[in-house]
Amino acid sequence: MKRRQLLKVEGLMLRFGGLQVLNDLSLSVREGQIVGLIGPNGAGKTSCFNCLTGIYQPQGGRVFFDGRDVSHLPTHRRARLGMARTWQNLGVIDALTVTENVMLAQHQRAGYSALAGMLGLAGTWHRERELRRDAAEIIEYFGLEAVADERTGELPYGVRKTCDMAMALASDPKMLLLDEPASGLSPEEALGLADTLRELRDRLKLTILMIEHHVPLVAEVCDYVYVLNFGELLTEGEPAAIQRHPEVIAAYLGGTAEPTEPPEWPLQPEGAPHGTA
Amino acid sequence: MGAFLALGLFQGAVYGLLAVGIVLVYKAKRVFNFAQGEFGGVAAFTAFAIVVGAGLPYWVGVVGGLAAAVAMGLIVERVIVRPLESSSRTIMLVALVGVALFTIAIIVLLGQPIPRVMPPLISGGGVNILGAGILPQQLILMAVLAVLAAAMAWFFKTDMGLAVLASSQDTRAAQVVGISPVAVSRLVWGMAALLGGIAGLLYAPVGIFTPGFMTLTMLVPAFAAAVLGGMTSLPGAFIGGLAIGVVQNLGIYYLGQQLKVPGAAELGVFALLMLVLLIRPQGLLGKEA
Amino acid sequence: MATATMVLTRVKVQRRFGLALRVTVVLALLVLAALPLLLGGDVWAQRISRAAIYAVIGLSINTLTGHAGQISLGHQAFVGIGAFAAAFMASRLGAPLGFGLAAAGVAGAFTAVVIGLVALRVTGLYLALVTLAFGLTAETTIFNWREFTGGGAGAFAPRPAVLASDHAFALLCLGVLGLVLYLDWRIVSTKTGRALAAVRNNERIASTLGVNVTGYKLAAFSLSGLIAGLAGGLFAHWNQIVQAMDFEFQVALVWVLMTVVGGLRSRLGVILASAFFALLPLTLPNFLSSLPWQPPFLNEAVYHVLPPFIVVVMLLVVLRFFPGGFGQLLRPATDWLAGKRKQ
Repeated sequence: MKRRQLLKVEGLMLRFGGLQVLNDLSLSVREGQIVGLIGPNGAGKTSCFNCLTGIYQPQGGRVFFDGRDVSHLPTHRRARLGMARTWQNLGVIDALTVTENVMLAQHQRAGYSALAGMLGLAGTWHRERELRRDAAEIIEYFGLEAVADERTGELPYGVRKTCDMAMALASDPKMLLLDEPASGLSPEEALGLADTLRELRDRLKLTILMIEHHVPLVAEVCDYVYVLNFGELLTEGEPAAIQRHPEVIAAYLGGTAEPTEPPEWPLQPEGAPHGTA
Repeated sequence: MGAFLALGLFQGAVYGLLAVGIVLVYKAKRVFNFAQGEFGGVAAFTAFAIVVGAGLPYWVGVVGGLAAAVAMGLIVERVIVRPLESSSRTIMLVALVGVALFTIAIIVLLGQPIPRVMPPLISGGGVNILGAGILPQQLILMAVLAVLAAAMAWFFKTDMGLAVLASSQDTRAAQVVGISPVAVSRLVWGMAALLGGIAGLLYAPVGIFTPGFMTLTMLVPAFAAAVLGGMTSLPGAFIGGLAIGVVQNLGIYYLGQQLKVPGAAELGVFALLMLVLLIRPQGLLGKEA
Repeated sequence: MATATMVLTRVKVQRRFGLALRVTVVLALLVLAALPLLLGGDVWAQRISRAAIYAVIGLSINTLTGHAGQISLGHQAFVGIGAFAAAFMASRLGAPLGFGLAAAGVAGAFTAVVIGLVALRVTGLYLALVTLAFGLTAETTIFNWREFTGGGAGAFAPRPAVLASDHAFALLCLGVLGLVLYLDWRIVSTKTGRALAAVRNNERIASTLGVNVTGYKLAAFSLSGLIAGLAGGLFAHWNQIVQAMDFEFQVALVWVLMTVVGGLRSRLGVILASAFFALLPLTLPNFLSSLPWQPPFLNEAVYHVLPPFIVVVMLLVVLRFFPGGFGQLLRPATDWLAGKRKQ
């Protein structure tokens, strides 16, 4: 049985000056799938996410989400339709506590207007308490209770990464866009992540598109994989088939000459979480 | 009409000098230097103290004024800019505003808030060119600009000049060329201050001047010029300055003289700034959005 | 992911001081603050009004700079527009004071919306530039527009009989300050505060969380303009005459610095710093003339630049030693009063 497409991308073109970042990229994600987006460094994976969420305005191509053309919607409108994302360099606001960050992510479902909140109208107080309760539940689900009132800026990398994931869920999305969810995690933690992702898909009926370098994780959880190289789609298919694909192997071997971590985020360490304060 | 145009070009050239300094700093630090006008203020008041106060020769005043401006630029770089490198742009901006305010306050404290008249370098009547009276001061300006343009064209071809230009893209680029980012930073602020100082020395003899005159009357048009040039183009900023000078003086002519609108000069610049931001925020000559 | 729980465990400290003690301390401080108003006569009532008006201005800047991370270098124009609007309502239309203050707030907000719609589309730095340009333009254009402002002579803003006494007027100013404080508190405690925190720290993250970044910046700027206009309305009736020269561009720069010195996002810090700079020009001449030794360069005109001088020196000290301003210095005390504890 084929489920309907939740996300569909047609012919995405993105240029920065003379540099062709994405070239005629098309892909689609069906409801309830976990789809992987892999490729060597500089292949344009994060740029692709930025086009999907509306942070970059591509020169060509269309993005359909949940049956509507969102190509020209600003980022916050796309978020309101149910697109949530995590960031390679973390999408937490360092100045806020974990609880505040999660409540920030609940922004679009707060259910009262900014003006009503400012004036302190009757319903808003009650709603704030409900949001706080919901946030506490999400925080508990991710095991962050102990640091709920700490500023995220003062927390170690792994904890902030978990917080980022909690935030993505708190917005009550239809779809999660995860940018390297396993980077900075230990092998055991990465396997734990596989369980978490499956649980999100099966219990919360979430659709997931994720960029990931950690091949065992991709092989384990993804229903379908797209391989990007130099901004173009190299191939696509089931993870098992992809792993045997000669061009993929060549592209990755070519890529191993580079550092395994994308160079544009030098702050993000591979393997060990940084800072143990 | 012709007189307004000539005056506009002269004022515009001074705006352009300030604007080029603003763009230099913006390219390197991504911050709007609201202290740029006071580099000129410091130069003008130092020169006045030397020439009128101490009665020394004019060239001593010019050298002293420029030296004071450059010294101020280097102090600002060392005391304000570098320690705040890691703070938010908001705080850096507030601090640079503080520098402008502080400089004006110091000038008032040392010299009283009275209007002054700076004698022009060459006195005497105007030369009649194309029906407009051109003062010797304006001819000097043309000469200064020609020399500056040649010097800058040469400088930005050298390694050091390229490092300054590259510092906007990437501080590491400068290090690759083998020039320390600190040296580039000093150079940027020194040059910005020098340009501001020249602008101040050229503009002070035009009329009476009071403490804060550069910030009050020159800074906003200079910024408008930089925005017109796209904030990142040095020639663009200068051409923007000329354009602003002309528009402003046409504004004075039509709005002020003909329609009797108060504050026509400021209104003209403000309207132009809003218009540029509304229609073409990347500036008329800029590439960057 | 479970590692998160193990990383930090908090030591719960028993609260040694009860609620009762904290309430007592707050009440005592409030009574202490109210004493000058109760016992001090008209001069003190006037000073308290001025301090409250400045605090409202400081909180207006805090809304924009503290919450949204944007800077206005032309806030004197918003205050001035509010002041002239209130004076116009009172003296030309004979409208009740409430309408005058409402008009002042609306005028400030409307101006902010128009400017913000243009300037906030581009990066944050442009707002500082456009507001600076606007402030200078307003100073020479709008405030010299004879029909609206009375030209150089100024516009009159008489008080109604109820508020004729300085004590009654001080209560009005404190009332408005209380209202603005309430708004600020509700902003911080609701989704608006969280959204603004995201906007000022990382616009991209904010937008992917569904926050309309430009919308929130514009809203913060409009609210800031509204509060500034309101402060202008109060100022008009405090002074009872409004003149263009009350709103020179340096004033706006002092206000911005004053707010940073008080501490962005610290209500108490902003109020204290604002009150200090409100009273400085009133008390400084007396203080200096009472000194045993008179610095030779001091005179009337120089008093004028001492507040800018002092605010910059304070700013340098603050940025160097405690970037959170007065608010940071007061934090141990305020945290205790709010019942917060850190290990």
